[in-house]
Amino acid sequence: MVEDSDQNYGRNVNKSVLLKIVILGDGGVGKSCLMSRFISNHFDDHNFHTIGVEFMNKMIEVGGKQYTLQIWDTAGQERFKSLRTPFYRGTDICILAYAIDDRSSFNNIKTWLNEFLHYAGVKNGIEKFPFIVVGNKSDVSSKDREVSYEQLKQWCEENKIATYLETSAKTDNNVLEAFSLSVQRWADLEQKAEKELRMYHHPDTVTLHGSNNVTGFRATCCSRFTSL
Amino acid sequence: MRKVQEVDDSFFEKFGSILKQASQKAALEESTPLAPLKEVEEQDGEQKAVTDVSESRSVTRDSDSGNETLLDTDSEHEDSEKLDYYVEAVGWNVDELYLEILYEILHNVGGCDVGCEVGAQAMLSYVQEAFKISNEKHMELLTQAEAKEPPELMLNVEVIEGKDLVPKDPSGLSDPFVTIYLMSNTSHRYNTSVKSGTLNPVWEEHFSLPMPGSLQEDSLCLEVWDFDPAETVKEKMTKIFEVKDVKGLRKLMKEIAITASTGKHDNELIGTANIPLKSIPAGGMVMWLNLSKKSKLRRQGVVKVRFNFSSEKNSQVAAQEHRHLLRILLLHELESSKVAPYWWCGNFSAAAEGVLTQHAAQSGLTPLEDRLSQWVVFCSVTPDHPLSFALFTSLLDKLAKPLQSGLVNEEDRKLFWDGAKKLLPTCYSHVRKLRKKTAGDKTVMKTLREVLRILHKLSVMDVPESIDLFPTNLYGWLRNDEKLTIHEVLNQAAIQGASDWFVHILDNNECKDKTEESRLQHLIRVIQLVRSDLQRAVEYFDRVFVEVMSFPYSKVLYGVYEDKIASLVEPEVIQVCKSMKRLRYSEGSTNSVFLAGGLNGETGLGATEVGSEPLAMGTTLFELYLALQRFLTLGQGLNETEWQNYSISKFHSWFYGGVAQWLDIAAYKALTRIEKAIELDNLAPVDANVKYSSSGVDTLAIFYQIKIFWQQLSWPDVEGCYAFVAKIIDDICRCCVFFAERMSGRVEGAGSVTSVYEERFEVTTEWCVAINNIDYVRQSLTPFVAELGMDDIINRMCEARTPLEAQRCKETLQNVLANAIDTVKNKIAELLEIMIKKMMPSITRFLVEGAELLHQDCSSMDRVMRYLEDNLDTLYHHLNNENFSRTLDIVWEQLGEVLYELIQANLEHRRAKIGRYIDPRRLTKSAAAVVDAKRRPPAFFHNLHECLKIMVRSFRQDNKETFTSETLKRVEYLLKLHGMETRELIHQYHLERWQEQQAVTEPKMGLLTVRAQFVEDNLKIEIMNARNLMPTDSNGLCDSYVRVGLLPEDTFANVEKPKTQTHSKNLFPLYDEMFLIQLSSSQVNTTNGLIHLVVKDKDMFSVSNTFVGEAYLHFSEVVHTNAPISSLPQQHLPLSRPANIDGDAIKALESRQGDKQAREFLKKQRQKMPSKQFFSLG
Repeated sequence: MVEDSDQNYGRNVNKSVLLKIVILGDGGVGKSCLMSRFISNHFDDHNFHTIGVEFMNKMIEVGGKQYTLQIWDTAGQERFKSLRTPFYRGTDICILAYAIDDRSSFNNIKTWLNEFLHYAGVKNGIEKFPFIVVGNKSDVSSKDREVSYEQLKQWCEENKIATYLETSAKTDNNVLEAFSLSVQRWADLEQKAEKELRMYHHPDTVTLHGSNNVTGFRATCCSRFTSL
Repeated sequence: MRKVQEVDDSFFEKFGSILKQASQKAALEESTPLAPLKEVEEQDGEQKAVTDVSESRSVTRDSDSGNETLLDTDSEHEDSEKLDYYVEAVGWNVDELYLEILYEILHNVGGCDVGCEVGAQAMLSYVQEAFKISNEKHMELLTQAEAKEPPELMLNVEVIEGKDLVPKDPSGLSDPFVTIYLMSNTSHRYNTSVKSGTLNPVWEEHFSLPMPGSLQEDSLCLEVWDFDPAETVKEKMTKIFEVKDVKGLRKLMKEIAITASTGKHDNELIGTANIPLKSIPAGGMVMWLNLSKKSKLRRQGVVKVRFNFSSEKNSQVAAQEHRHLLRILLLHELESSKVAPYWWCGNFSAAAEGVLTQHAAQSGLTPLEDRLSQWVVFCSVTPDHPLSFALFTSLLDKLAKPLQSGLVNEEDRKLFWDGAKKLLPTCYSHVRKLRKKTAGDKTVMKTLREVLRILHKLSVMDVPESIDLFPTNLYGWLRNDEKLTIHEVLNQAAIQGASDWFVHILDNNECKDKTEESRLQHLIRVIQLVRSDLQRAVEYFDRVFVEVMSFPYSKVLYGVYEDKIASLVEPEVIQVCKSMKRLRYSEGSTNSVFLAGGLNGETGLGATEVGSEPLAMGTTLFELYLALQRFLTLGQGLNETEWQNYSISKFHSWFYGGVAQWLDIAAYKALTRIEKAIELDNLAPVDANVKYSSSGVDTLAIFYQIKIFWQQLSWPDVEGCYAFVAKIIDDICRCCVFFAERMSGRVEGAGSVTSVYEERFEVTTEWCVAINNIDYVRQSLTPFVAELGMDDIINRMCEARTPLEAQRCKETLQNVLANAIDTVKNKIAELLEIMIKKMMPSITRFLVEGAELLHQDCSSMDRVMRYLEDNLDTLYHHLNNENFSRTLDIVWEQLGEVLYELIQANLEHRRAKIGRYIDPRRLTKSAAAVVDAKRRPPAFFHNLHECLKIMVRSFRQDNKETFTSETLKRVEYLLKLHGMETRELIHQYHLERWQEQQAVTEPKMGLLTVRAQFVEDNLKIEIMNARNLMPTDSNGLCDSYVRVGLLPEDTFANVEKPKTQTHSKNLFPLYDEMFLIQLSSSQVNTTNGLIHLVVKDKDMFSVSNTFVGEAYLHFSEVVHTNAPISSLPQQHLPLSRPANIDGDAIKALESRQGDKQAREFLKKQRQKMPSKQFFSLG
């Protein structure tokens, strides 16, 4: 009972886990819309470009744990490349977005993936980093659809990305789910990495001293341990 | 230097203040006027590398570029050709010209000029030398010349004007005319026209007088007359009205008198002048002659006359001959006098002057023809033997007007422009090679001015169609084949000069090796050199160019340079930025730093991996940036309107990658340095006035340097500004959080006191300093962001984009900042909590031991009080108010938790969780007993309760805030309960029930309606009726009655408990009974007294009656009045039954298993439980 008492001074409960998320994808696939739908449950049809980056944060509960998501929305236009890439460093979760009615945005996912891998310095392989591929604008009519769900699935399997989803920021379909799913993916990879580490290092004991050679096994480029 | 900076070799200082200082120094240097360049030849080994230009170098380059050589050979070639052409055209060879000259010398004309002084013999030997004629030949030709006839010479006289003539007419004016004649031939007179009614006549009339043989003795006579035609007296009389003054009147009268008396008319002499012919120089002269009159002493006025001699030679031939001569003499002069290039300004030696003057005079050349000849010859000579430009300007001054006014025939115009054609390359070459001259040197500036004047004068003249002023063979560097104006070519010359200079700079400043560092240094050097050149242009040359030619020299230069620099630097910078190594923080280091990535994670960012320095070029890249920035500023000054078109105006965009990369590296370096700073920190305040320590200061220093770095960049593009600032804020946030985490780790072990008897934690100043440090860093965030220019960025964004977008950006920046501040605040709170938790075991132990002693006075709590006081005092003195009150909040919270645990343990009869705070082996015996959680007597809790109250009084300055924590409020209540006597507790239970009843909105067990009042010391109560009673009998009905009791029971032990009649088989019984209960006055005033109304079912067959429901009426709900009870409002009380045992009071009672009173009471209450009843029924 007392453990739940909320006597903190900041906006956030400090017991929550902070996760940094970046959303990448071609201009116009609805990255900003996904974010504002998620943050404020609001859909703005106004057509503007993100300048460089935008930042918002939000609390979310996944699997009974509190997370504070720090979301960096990026500008998809090429001319903003040097303005957005500095923000990749230290990312915990990467959301790769395309629009299902735009084939080329889907084809570019690979480019985005590579850009992210390069600038974020992810080293341990795609399968150990929580990526999620999101096909936005699932509300469009079937005749406008250019990328099928099967293609998404196939692509992700080929590229060793375990989580993918079709969403609609406009109709609020799967948006919260996408974020939850990515956080869940993060938590799973984290747990797995921790376990591997224990197995590898001290099969008998589970003593962990902070940072000792942890990184080689961590899932993320900025992996972490919750305190024991 | 502080030790902490060694960890990254002063990384931040280098990019912050040191870079700034360097750049300020560079800017200062650039803004100081340059020392004048030394003459090229003297430059070897000069101090300033800018001037490190050796002549041989530049010659090499020139010949490499090919233009100069082309220019030189071509012009030379053409000249020799020209010479032959002249000789042919004239039809003479040098011998014949020489013969002519000798003849002229022998027949010298004119008197007192140079030729005269030099003497014929000197002139003869001079020409022999100049013409390079052998003695033999000379003698032969001289004999020929002596045999020739004397020349037929004419004296040309131009009577130009007269001034201040003496008035001869009555009107005060004259009608003057001039007569001239030679004394040797007085009969041959020449008269000018009459200018009537003036004392300042202008004649401008020419006369040619044949020259006599005896030139030396003869003289010219000049007379000025007033013309006076025959007039009648009457005509004279009409003039009377024109008479101006008394003098005039007298003159008129005299005139009239003469006319009247003689009837004769005559011209009146105004004055005469006499000029000996020998006083007229052979080159001619213009002079003012004084007029005199025999009878008069005073001056009669002056007349301006021009004299010169001429022959009857063919003027074309004479001019060509003259040019030829001029050229021969000039070349000889230049050769013999060894005059420096550009120095000869038209002064021949006396002998040469004599020869030339004689020739001009004897050939009858007009001054214009003479000057034209000079122009043509000088122009043709100057490409090989540069002459003073001033010479040309002064010639142009005299030639321009006649040329433009059409006085010069077509052929001569062509000659003039052919000359100009030869002169122009030298002029442009001067402009192109301005850099070889000494800018500060007066003569150079003068020369430039002369050159530009020549260009200007030529540019305003009309060039004949047939002339191609800029033949391509002379102007290899001209870009355009179109017909160009002098202005356009000047522009190209300036451009070409700059381009050549740029090539020259590059040739002379090769980078030593291919490392990025030296490549960048090289670029900076090039920019500096170019800048020096521009600066020289701005400081010295620009003024002259603008003044004379309205030509924006510096601006043109800048245009050339900026483009060249841009195309040189851009690919290099982009390449360097690209090749900057990305940091791999996450690899193999044991000395890893937490949290490079996320905020609560860890990442090994070891120093080993970064060992290969990712910023190998150090600050050089940004020095280059700043050099470009200053270079652009210069351009903005030169071209205020269109500088945006310069390719260099986008220079910052080349650095995007570099800046991004730098920020990335800086973030890493900052973390590393913070780690070091904390390691080195002794956690003692840096001085007596502050409460933070060195690592706080060091961390802020990092932020400060990052800020300086950013401010220096003064990034021009607002979008970039925004994104970078967002990045910086985010990184700084990470630094803050990292600092907070490291700081927590740093103090972890501090403050524990270990002795044989106990292990105790004491709050130390280290803890406070650590907390203050974090807070100090946190507080710096908002001003830091402000200083990064956030507001300015938003404003600019608003202008550049839309307000909506600006708003979004603003929100992002604010979010990032707020997020950072929140996170750090949470870190502080976390640390405070850790600290307080460390205090809790001691507090718990002291509390427990004190409470165990069962003393009613509070001295048993002295130890806990002293402990708290000591520690809180430390905190109070070192923390700021905000953090101190935060600390108190946590203290109370933790205290609440501990106390709650004690109570819970007692209730649940289990080992208290507080065991986790304390090692039981270290506790005193009695304290250890606490942990074993035996049942506590009420006094134990009572003591704790008292202690809590004292603590609250002692440590809460503001009572209003008391028990803001819900936990603490509850704990306080529970302590109160558990500290109560059993009877008190029982009454507390009833009060709780009464409170429950107050909360009932929908009565499920019926309503009881009563009226009650206190009349003096008596309670008067009317039980009126009940509604919707719960059926208790099998017939679904109820045989009910109501019993009235007063609580607490022991207070009202002597008071009767009346009951109503039983109303059978009725769920809506009307009792309508009134009771008067006699009470003592103290009983009436019982605090929390309750009227307990119990409805029961009368059961005929059972021993006890069945409980139906109960209701409470608090004494406070009963009015004290003497009014009739019927006037009072009815009170509808919902009936209820005890539901289950979950109230605090009943739990407390339950815990008192050893207490009979409690046990029995509980038993009774259980019987009332509905479930039991129904169960029994079932």
